[in-house]
Amino acid sequence: MSLNFFMQNLINALQWGSFYALIALGYSMVYSILMLFNFAHGDIFMVGAYIGLGVALLLLKIVGTGTAALVPGWLVLVATILISMFLTAFVGIIVERVAYRPLRDAPRASAAITGLMVGIILETSNILFLGGQRLAFPQLIQSQTYNIGGIFITNKKIMIVIVSIALMTALHQFVTRTRWGMAMRAMAYDFVVVPLVGVPLNTIAVMTFAIGSALAAAAGILFGLAYPVLDPYMGVSFGWKAFVAAILGGRGSIMGACIAGFMLGFIEIMTVPGIQILNRLFSLNIGSNLRDLIAYSIVLVILVFRPHGLFGEPYSAKLRL
Amino acid sequence: MRKGRLLIAVLLCAGLVISPSVWAASDTINIGFPIPLTGDNPDLGASSKNAAEMYLKKFPTVEVGAKTYKLNFIYEDNEFKAESAVKAVTKLITEEEVLAIVGPQASAQAVPAGEVANNYATPMISPWSTNPNATLNRPYVFRGCFLDPFQGPVAANFVTDELGAKKAAVLYDIASDYPKGLAEFFKQAFEKIHGPGSVVAFESFTTGDKDFSAQMANIVASGADVLFTPQYYSEVPLIVRAAQENGFTKPIMGSDSWGSGDLMGLCGDDCKGFYFSTHYAAAGAQGATKEFIDEYNAAYGKTPDDVAALTWDSLGIMIQAIRNTGGLSGDIKADRTKVKDALGAIKDYPGITGKMTFTPEGDPIKCAVVVKINEEGQFAFHKSVCP
Amino acid sequence: MSRTDPAVTVSRGLPVFMGRMLAGVPLLGWLLGFLVAVLIEQAVGEPLAQLVSLPKMPVLFGILTVSKVIAAIINTVFKDAAFDPAILIHVPAAIAYLTVVYLAPIVVVARISANIANRAAGAMNRWNLLLPAIVHLGLMYVVLHIWAGMSDYRLITLKITLIAVLLTLSLNIINGYMGEFSCSHPGFMAVGAYMSSLFTVGLFVDDRVLGNALMACSLDFLSFPLALIFGGICASAAALLVAIPSFKTRGDYLAIISLAFLFIIKSLFENLQALGGSRGIAGQPDWATLPVIFIVVGLGIWSINNFVTSTFGKALNAVRDDELAAEAMTVNTRKAKMTAFLVGAFWAGVAGGLLAHVLRYINPAMFGIQKLAEVLAMVYFGGLNSVYGSIVGAVSIGLLGEALRPLEILKWIIIPLLLILVMIYRPTGLVAFRDFDLREAMGPKTEPGQRK
Repeated sequence: MSLNFFMQNLINALQWGSFYALIALGYSMVYSILMLFNFAHGDIFMVGAYIGLGVALLLLKIVGTGTAALVPGWLVLVATILISMFLTAFVGIIVERVAYRPLRDAPRASAAITGLMVGIILETSNILFLGGQRLAFPQLIQSQTYNIGGIFITNKKIMIVIVSIALMTALHQFVTRTRWGMAMRAMAYDFVVVPLVGVPLNTIAVMTFAIGSALAAAAGILFGLAYPVLDPYMGVSFGWKAFVAAILGGRGSIMGACIAGFMLGFIEIMTVPGIQILNRLFSLNIGSNLRDLIAYSIVLVILVFRPHGLFGEPYSAKLRL
Repeated sequence: MRKGRLLIAVLLCAGLVISPSVWAASDTINIGFPIPLTGDNPDLGASSKNAAEMYLKKFPTVEVGAKTYKLNFIYEDNEFKAESAVKAVTKLITEEEVLAIVGPQASAQAVPAGEVANNYATPMISPWSTNPNATLNRPYVFRGCFLDPFQGPVAANFVTDELGAKKAAVLYDIASDYPKGLAEFFKQAFEKIHGPGSVVAFESFTTGDKDFSAQMANIVASGADVLFTPQYYSEVPLIVRAAQENGFTKPIMGSDSWGSGDLMGLCGDDCKGFYFSTHYAAAGAQGATKEFIDEYNAAYGKTPDDVAALTWDSLGIMIQAIRNTGGLSGDIKADRTKVKDALGAIKDYPGITGKMTFTPEGDPIKCAVVVKINEEGQFAFHKSVCP
Repeated sequence: MSRTDPAVTVSRGLPVFMGRMLAGVPLLGWLLGFLVAVLIEQAVGEPLAQLVSLPKMPVLFGILTVSKVIAAIINTVFKDAAFDPAILIHVPAAIAYLTVVYLAPIVVVARISANIANRAAGAMNRWNLLLPAIVHLGLMYVVLHIWAGMSDYRLITLKITLIAVLLTLSLNIINGYMGEFSCSHPGFMAVGAYMSSLFTVGLFVDDRVLGNALMACSLDFLSFPLALIFGGICASAAALLVAIPSFKTRGDYLAIISLAFLFIIKSLFENLQALGGSRGIAGQPDWATLPVIFIVVGLGIWSINNFVTSTFGKALNAVRDDELAAEAMTVNTRKAKMTAFLVGAFWAGVAGGLLAHVLRYINPAMFGIQKLAEVLAMVYFGGLNSVYGSIVGAVSIGLLGEALRPLEILKWIIIPLLLILVMIYRPTGLVAFRDFDLREAMGPKTEPGQRK
């Protein structure tokens, strides 16, 4: 077990964790402010990736590809990310309008079910309109691999991590520095009383969904760059795992969701070399296949010791019935 | 209200007179396809349906004995779930009164569905299932593909002889029936040649995973000469890319699940130069195989994948069996048994994926082909291995 | 509707009239009506279907036939498939069939027998609860048996729907009565399915994975209840993993604990080569016949109903409404939570065991997120905190899933849309918060306006 090997996994985990973190952010914002499980969020991530695919193909058609391109690939990528974030925000707004707003006063679990159902509708519509086959995400920037002392780093990995951290920082600034951000934080503190003092609940809810969906779209495009195979069900497992990360972070804590997202990524990736170390040390024969089992056992243990998440404060939550 | 009732009455009477479905029933042969049109793997169902529709367009009728029957294909969604597959197959047998069944594709559905088909004495071919349990002790259930215990050693011998590998790594999906079975048989075969411990990395992941970098880091560190990864075509591009990004430069070997027309579209240049074992080589194919590939390409705009090819062959051999019965009595139960007997008796059926003969278990004896993905991105014939 | 004063309501129109006519029919009367209907179908169903030009007897009350026609129209419009206009006749034909075979006989018999049935139900109710229960359940079983006996497709649909009822109800204990959002139910089900399969396949069947049969005798099917109980107890034991953290964590954190539990269980079974790994176990003996399932599900409903209406059930409601207040009111919240999880998991395990023996095959992939979405949908569609609701939810979603089968992929747009609509207009589900009182359900009904 060399340091190289460890560093290699660390870099891989950073990339993997940034997807969880970006998606968990959207979850966490809705969860903090409206106390809802937005189970459609994983599928909004999927929709964002597909919208990104459409936008990227369109842009590539306009500006051309390869050496004949009018503008460099990274510019297309930036444009794709921005346009898709904008478009996907509307998807989020529609989902909120259709599936969540009518249920504002209903039990929270009912809204969770509508979210689940919206997710199924999004997946099915995808199959209906695009057929069942997987689609390839265009490679907007040329992949380059750098070998730094035996550690392999690609330019995409660096870019993905930087872009996601930038987005998270931007969100953090927005939430802590602006009036709207303050309104959101106030709403997260108490969404019964705060609207009474003039903070528009519906506007904040729409904004929350729009921002969350835009982040999911960004995650979707970055995901397409890193793992260029899109399929209609790509959001399902991501959605549920990001849900775990969002709640693990603690209610009302945006940074908590980010950190929990990265942590979940680390746990999932690091379990594989971890198992190998254990095998070497104690000459065991455990396969890397126990990854999910070990990773989620760790989550369980964390929750046993920190029952209110990493950065959440103890509160008595109950389903409003 | 009154007018509505009158209309209904008139329609009912009209229906009595017309009702062609009732009269026509005896001249059609129904064949059921319990395939996953929705669920986690809709492209599996789409490929099977494409192949079947193409068959129907080409051969709308079948002559059995002296009588010509119209073929009628019924597609039933199994949602990629065992429960749904059991219901779908039961429905096909008892409600739609199919003579024979082609499908389900994946073992997770084919095993429970085979149980139902066998209980109702209805011949069934699963084109794609590799789980031994699907046909085990079930005289009415057959399959269209070779089994893992055959394909595993084919791959192991190939990497030893042609690629000169002494240490091999395996990366597979533990939660999925097919890759897991094949990975284990490969390991067994490889270690039989090179001694225990020669499979230096035996890494796995779970269905739906997209990131293989951790496993790949292990594989790179293990110093393997070759990577065997029996994964589906949709995962191959991600695995190949993870290999590149983590500095794995050795050859990669795949299995028949690579053989999809979509593979090169998803993978681009990354997959060129690698090998996989499969049922047929698309590039340089001749005769019926070429005809099939060209027609499929014309109809659906892509190279048929292994599912489509195997569905085509399973359907073909089933129709051949129906023809071989020499005449149907009209008693569906007796006819089903006749078809099953005929199916077991077929020798060297000339399928597009090779000659097929069933063992008493219902598994086919057929040859495997190793293809190389050439620089044009075609699946070019490299070697043929027969049992 | 039945409680309206006849002096106020001047009955106009068929629905109101029917509603008033049938308000006084007790459960016994309805069962008699159904019995007559299925007997009619058995006697003349096939020729009648021929008469109204249906190719075959409509198998699910004609809904399947109608959705087949809709599917044909859709295929014609969007995929240029050839359209056979003769198929249109199937819609009125199916409705006519449904009316002649089911609706008319049920209504007529129920109405005619109402008087006698009321008297009989009243007489039986004066004895203890056992007699009317046996009579009603017996009658119900006979109806289902005859109905399912006409087609094996009905039989398998019925079996799986009954199991879904048990599963939904067991989840309703935790999610409805206790108000948690537990995601671990497919995991409990998996434990039950695996353990009962281990019991039956390991002991009585020669198998590639689990080896040769340890015992074999002709009466081995009698051990099936033991297998189910074994599966249920193992599921309960596994539930401790979720129940114990639930002492400290509530609501959302419990949701992810239970979700993590589900991932862990699935991963565990995928990796346990001794239990077949991802290939699963096949070849369970064919012991889950309709009577067995009917009895087990009946027992499950009865015992869960007793549980939730007892002081324990009330304690659960108290925990749901306010845990601190409940604690202050001397409710032992730990014990209440623990019991709810153990009971819920037990019946989920039993349901899993039954499912394993109906399908005669299990693999870990069956008990994943998809299953979770399915059960959650059934619970919330039917109604929280309600035994009726679970039955309604499981049966309607189960039947809908089958009846819309011909629509193929559109089915998965229609069912979620329907669920969203139900959630919007009835946020707690169709029949939420309804007590299931056996004595009242089986007792006589008074005519509207008639004094008790």
